[in-house]
Amino acid sequence: MSARSLSRPASLEALDETGVPLAGGTELVPLVRDGLVEAETLVDVRPLLPRGIEAGGTSIGAGTTLADVEHSGEVPNALREACRLAASPQLRAMGTIGGNLLQATRCWYWRLAFPCYLHGGDRCLAREGEHREHAIFAVEPCASAHPSDPAAALLALGAVVETTRRRLPLAELYRLPTEDDRSLTTLAGGELILRLQLEEPDASVYLKAMDRQRWSFPLVGVAAARYGKETRLALAGVAPIPWALGSPADLDAATPLPGTGYKVEIARVLVDRALAAVS
Amino acid sequence: MRPLTELLVNGGRHEVNGSVLTTLAEALRGHLGLTGTKVACGEGHCGACTVLLDGEPALSCITLVEAVGEREVTTIEGLRDHPLVEAFVRADAVQCGFCTPGQIVSAAALVRELPNPTREQVRHAMAGNLCRCGTYPKIEEAISTWQG
Amino acid sequence: MARLIRTEKEVEGRYTEQWVVVEEDPLDRWPEGPLEVVGRPAARVDGLQRARGEARYTADLALPGMLHAAVLRSPHAHARVRRLDLAPALEAPGVRAAVGPGDCSVLVEEAGYQGAPVAAVAADTFSEAQAALARIRVEWEVLERLLDPEEAVARGELIEEASRYERGDVERGLAGADVLVEAEYRTATVLHNALETHQAVCEWEGDGLTVYVSTQWIWGVRKDVAKRLGLPPDKVRVVCEYMGGGFGAKNDPGDHTYVAAELARRTGRPVRCALTRREENLASGNRHATVQRLRAGAKADGTLTALEGEFTMAVGWDGFVSSTAGPMKMLYGCENVRTVELGAKLTTGPNDAFRAPGFVEGTFGLECLLDELAAKLELDPLVLRRRNGAEADPVNGRPFSAKNLAECYRRAEPHWARREAVRARSEGPWRRGVGLASQIWYGGGGPPSYAWVRVGSDGRASVLTAMQDIGTGTRTAMAQIAAEELGLPLERVSVSLGDSSRGPYAAISAGSSTTPSMGPAVRAAAADAARQIVEIAAQRFEVEQRVLSLRGGRLVSEDGASWALEDVTGLLEDGQILGKGSRGPNPTGMRVLTFGVQVAEVAVDVETGEVRVERIAAIHDVGRVVNPLGASSQVEGGIIQGIGHTLSEQRLLDPGSGRALTVTLDAYKLPTIADVPEIVTDLLDVPDAHLTSLGSKGLGEPPIIPTAAAITNAIRDATGADVRSLPITREEMLRALREARERAFAL
Repeated sequence: MSARSLSRPASLEALDETGVPLAGGTELVPLVRDGLVEAETLVDVRPLLPRGIEAGGTSIGAGTTLADVEHSGEVPNALREACRLAASPQLRAMGTIGGNLLQATRCWYWRLAFPCYLHGGDRCLAREGEHREHAIFAVEPCASAHPSDPAAALLALGAVVETTRRRLPLAELYRLPTEDDRSLTTLAGGELILRLQLEEPDASVYLKAMDRQRWSFPLVGVAAARYGKETRLALAGVAPIPWALGSPADLDAATPLPGTGYKVEIARVLVDRALAAVS
Repeated sequence: MRPLTELLVNGGRHEVNGSVLTTLAEALRGHLGLTGTKVACGEGHCGACTVLLDGEPALSCITLVEAVGEREVTTIEGLRDHPLVEAFVRADAVQCGFCTPGQIVSAAALVRELPNPTREQVRHAMAGNLCRCGTYPKIEEAISTWQG
Repeated sequence: MARLIRTEKEVEGRYTEQWVVVEEDPLDRWPEGPLEVVGRPAARVDGLQRARGEARYTADLALPGMLHAAVLRSPHAHARVRRLDLAPALEAPGVRAAVGPGDCSVLVEEAGYQGAPVAAVAADTFSEAQAALARIRVEWEVLERLLDPEEAVARGELIEEASRYERGDVERGLAGADVLVEAEYRTATVLHNALETHQAVCEWEGDGLTVYVSTQWIWGVRKDVAKRLGLPPDKVRVVCEYMGGGFGAKNDPGDHTYVAAELARRTGRPVRCALTRREENLASGNRHATVQRLRAGAKADGTLTALEGEFTMAVGWDGFVSSTAGPMKMLYGCENVRTVELGAKLTTGPNDAFRAPGFVEGTFGLECLLDELAAKLELDPLVLRRRNGAEADPVNGRPFSAKNLAECYRRAEPHWARREAVRARSEGPWRRGVGLASQIWYGGGGPPSYAWVRVGSDGRASVLTAMQDIGTGTRTAMAQIAAEELGLPLERVSVSLGDSSRGPYAAISAGSSTTPSMGPAVRAAAADAARQIVEIAAQRFEVEQRVLSLRGGRLVSEDGASWALEDVTGLLEDGQILGKGSRGPNPTGMRVLTFGVQVAEVAVDVETGEVRVERIAAIHDVGRVVNPLGASSQVEGGIIQGIGHTLSEQRLLDPGSGRALTVTLDAYKLPTIADVPEIVTDLLDVPDAHLTSLGSKGLGEPPIIPTAAAITNAIRDATGADVRSLPITREEMLRALREARERAFAL
């Protein structure tokens, strides 16, 4: 078991590459305890992170909880709905929007520490094993599914991420794993998400298919945001990272596993419904 | 074990020992003897360990005690006289009872924000508290009649 | 005079014969319907303790000096320990003892499933114990896995010999049928997931052992522990005052109890052994998956001519073979029935009893098959069921002690009649429909069971019996029964249970038997006390005994005179009135069973495969209902577990390693409050005139039995799709819809 100390710095400037930032803790604490994340020092950044929604709902501090966003009257509908349908009430009250974007997959092989590709192994165990919750896009070399509902909504809303070091489009926060680097984000050690800026849409929606009515990760989540005549689509639960969909026809390019074909079917329906809802 | 932090719990201040990964649930149950907070999964999935941190529902089994800071912790012991307790008993919203303290803590957070929640609001706000006995209809009933 | 008789005992459909000593049951039967206390809704007598978090569960016990055990479990589905070295663990911080195979009877060298216990460590804290496990050096020899029940059957790997049953002539029945249906049904392995995990705290005092344990059967633990540890049973005290759910998986002491006992013996300190949630979902039992190949034949008018079923159960490394064929044998009066039950021995965690084991699975298959038959016959499914009612037990011709299934069907009519209106509410992709399914199960309880009643000079009564309340509300029901018999308000009766050293033998809380087993014993004990009170009062007030009765906390004479109970018992100062009672036998030569029917309304989004259960009406006949409020909670709880099994719960195994993947409560999806439909409970509340002085049967299991089939039949009604596999996930629903579309296209 890792983590020997918890530091409570006076400011975010004190962050260095050795500490692992702890905010809501809903993801990090279990992962550290299970040995899936190594963290010599946990850095309690919760009191320091910007928390709150500004600029008419288009600027969101990374320390804003999912519950804050859910209850905001200002944020675009897609984001509010994605937060409302995410996780459980307690997790929404604890978890921050910044942390939510960085959460790891729910892939059971990864969570149970099987020697899978994402853990540095030579192959994805889900592909030949149980994978009903897994990907339909980018299934090679790892077929895990990204579980964040808000990430899909923010992707459709054209979010820009402001970190302690740079500004980048949300899409560039994510990367697919490669042979020499299995990580799914581009965040550097010690780099912290501070704020999210998004573009106010004319209309937006988030639709989610899940195994229960509540407290389930998305089998398929579809976010749609309309800007004038253009509508941006993004999907949750369908690829190792949040997935932007250029057009509905791009679903024809899905490469589902034997057990995830049904997700393509659901995605088509939800995309149609989302487009209808924002038109 | 080392002195770790001070906790403000149900209006009293307590010193807590432990290691960096000591959770709030462990501190409450083990060090302070507040065993009304139950641990049923230990990894943030079931809601049995729910407490309030400055009035917001939180899962004490995945909250590091050191990260609680100045936030005030309210456990079921601090809500013993909340009208919800009577309402739960009256409505038979208690079967084996292992999830019940957590249910009541979540319900207390709900009715503080929404004193007269609709059925949909109850179902939305209580979905993180699993009950394997299936007491849910009675929980809905208890929360909708909590004011007597 | 005590009478020795030979009687039949049934627990969850398994019958054994036994000797029991019974006393005559001279009590009059209470009239039907609500009485003063019995039959009226009562809030739980221990509700406040539980709701305020004051009730002490096994999980909450912290004995002075207590150590914590952690168990090393096999990471392999099948492996043998070649070499195991505990020494490094013993040197780890906080560790006080370590045990391995040979040290404790439940620790094994050959692990037949992932999670089988191999070694254990006791340390000052649980995290120290867990950390020490990692230091144990184990050399494994990985052995062959067997995960597929059908492959196991093909290879002859059975837990026990196939169980075959036949009546009549099935070939002739099939040949004489106007319509035949044949289908294969599958159910998944599901996990109990009581919120309090399996756990025990063991403490030795001299040569005696106290076991604090989360259990459904205090006396079963006492007997098994005494036997296995070679102790006289009276040297084993078992305590379980509050218990966080069992659902069938806590009938036995379990490995954890023996691990705690052995580590406590070695260290001279109390030891807790508690399973984590993940261990719970590996090694504490499950409802086995089934494969059911079923056939039915019927005349054009719906009369069943033959039923045939081959049932394969994925039992696991050990465990019992649940009677999945039971409903097919017992529910309908079909003359020609043939079943075979095959229990596959696999390298997976053992099956254990889970709320109506076998009948939940078997009713899903049978009652879906009946609806497929009704569709082919173009017959109303309710008409089909009514046409095939059994007047006596079709298996052995015995009369039923009571059977009111016809009345259940009659009361189902208004719910069933909603289907036109429900279907008419279909709109857009949402199709709506209604389905029903019948229920048959045991639930009669039986002897032996005993209770004592103590009445003090303050006119308050205590019931003492070493039973357990597993969350079903039996403390409350027993208090109601005693209060009724003693003519006391409920608040003047308390119940002391949960400790084998604090009361007489009591029955298991399983098989829907607690109320029918314990209730009559409690009533008899209260009646014994009441009789003594009347005798004393007659002497004190110089009236005839026969004119006196106990009502409203008073002794009331026929002529209208009355005295407060305390005026009699108060004479005794520290003296007490002590009553004792026992459970009489079940009616000779009769079948004591429970019956019911559920009507489900569902909505299906035919484009996304989402299924919402919108309403379930549950009509059950379980004899007299002691507490209608608690009973409705039991019904709701059974239905909600049934909805979980039907829609979202399944244990998945990695085919490559045999390791379980859904061991956490995010991945294993229990229903939440948001998944619950409107539930309408209607209990007939007619005492079984042949069963004890109480006429009550058990209610724990019946409500879960028909739920899956009722939902599945409603889905067929709504969409025309034949779902034959549980759980009905999105992919299964979409598959069935696609198949229905292709079938329609082909026509």
